[in-house]
Amino acid sequence: MSHEDASELLGVYALDAVDGEELTELEAHLATCPRCRAELDSLREVAAAVGTTVEPLPEGLWSNIASRLPERHDEEEAPPMPRLAADGRPFRPPAAGRARRRRNLVAGLGAAAVAAAAVAIVLGIGLVRADNKVSGLQAAAGATSVSAALRTPGHTVVDLDTTSHAQLAQFVVLPDGRGYLVSSSMPPLGAQATYQLWGIVGKKAISLGLLGASPRQAAFTMAGSTRPTRLSITAEPSGGAVIPTGPVLATGTV
Amino acid sequence: MHHLDEVSDARLVTSIARYSEVALAEVYRRHGGAVFGLAKRVLQNPTEAEDVTQEVFLRLWNQPDRFDPGRGSLRSFLLSQAHGRAVDAVRSSSSRRARESRDARRTAEADYDMQHEVWDMAVADQVAQAMGELPDEERRAIELAYFDGRTYREVAELLDQPEGTVKSRIRNGMRRMRAVLADAGIRGVDA
Repeated sequence: MSHEDASELLGVYALDAVDGEELTELEAHLATCPRCRAELDSLREVAAAVGTTVEPLPEGLWSNIASRLPERHDEEEAPPMPRLAADGRPFRPPAAGRARRRRNLVAGLGAAAVAAAAVAIVLGIGLVRADNKVSGLQAAAGATSVSAALRTPGHTVVDLDTTSHAQLAQFVVLPDGRGYLVSSSMPPLGAQATYQLWGIVGKKAISLGLLGASPRQAAFTMAGSTRPTRLSITAEPSGGAVIPTGPVLATGTV
Repeated sequence: MHHLDEVSDARLVTSIARYSEVALAEVYRRHGGAVFGLAKRVLQNPTEAEDVTQEVFLRLWNQPDRFDPGRGSLRSFLLSQAHGRAVDAVRSSSSRRARESRDARRTAEADYDMQHEVWDMAVADQVAQAMGELPDEERRAIELAYFDGRTYREVAELLDQPEGTVKSRIRNGMRRMRAVLADAGIRGVDA
């Protein structure tokens, strides 16, 4: 198909109104013609504007979609320590097929967990997953620790608020760098997700650990001389992330 | 780092690629209503429109890399997917015969993001006005092709006009719309 013929068809193609052999030939041309692709992209924006109607969403449609998201068959038991990659690199699973990537990602997290546990100890980060695991660390983050922290001179209370100024979580941070979750109104996430706490130092986000899918208690330690100026919470895949990938749900100044 | 409602669509898709259900939910909140609305308009059947909407979002979950932010907005990507699927369904003969208004069980749900809904209504107004200013034959051809899911050859037959004429009328109408919408500041339409 000549460029001129293809160009003539882009308007109807943007409306999905081409079929048969002509469609095949046009798509073959599009694959090799950046000019036609750019024109098509722009006409598709026009089509989208024309096709935008305001409809209330049917009740239950989102739950149907959410329930059909593929399960992680090989979900691992969550270890009590944060399962973060320790080498500072994001995971780069091979690009072959979504299901395969998913399995590889989880397997990768398992291996990374061992290294992460070691690094976490060195950095002095301890974290409790209180949603479904009771670890040895939990006692340290219990109500006694929180109330003791709140009585410690020089403590800072950090409110993490959403953009709409609703308080999602409150932490208390001690001068020695230890911090505790005081209260949380974070709604429970699905089994495939976890909240993750970040300390913002300059323009970098440093993971302070995973909070679990339904955080009730958590303790962390900020090591090093440079303290975060802000704390932020994101939602991440259940293994956590080395850099924030989910949107920031709430943030607060230390 | 940004708050959830300030995060760009492109960034949300990156998060979806990392299995963030929260990000998918946010995309649904922003664009689900438009996806469902277009599917319903083409299919004239809310149940089938729900199926199309599900497919579109599941596909975004399974193949997020098919969206290329360099090629246009996420909204137009999702609507294009929804339209393609709806048209496939409507072109099957059984569906065509059954394509009459059916009773719609309608339960309004407040999940469609207000900010986007307001924006969509503003766009819809601009678009309705721009469509109203098109020559009748251009507007009619666009509507038959886009909302009734007809091929341009079918449109030509329905309107009893040469195929070439219908083809250029649709193209001219689309270009006219583009110019009007670009002047009105609708994002992403300028070539």
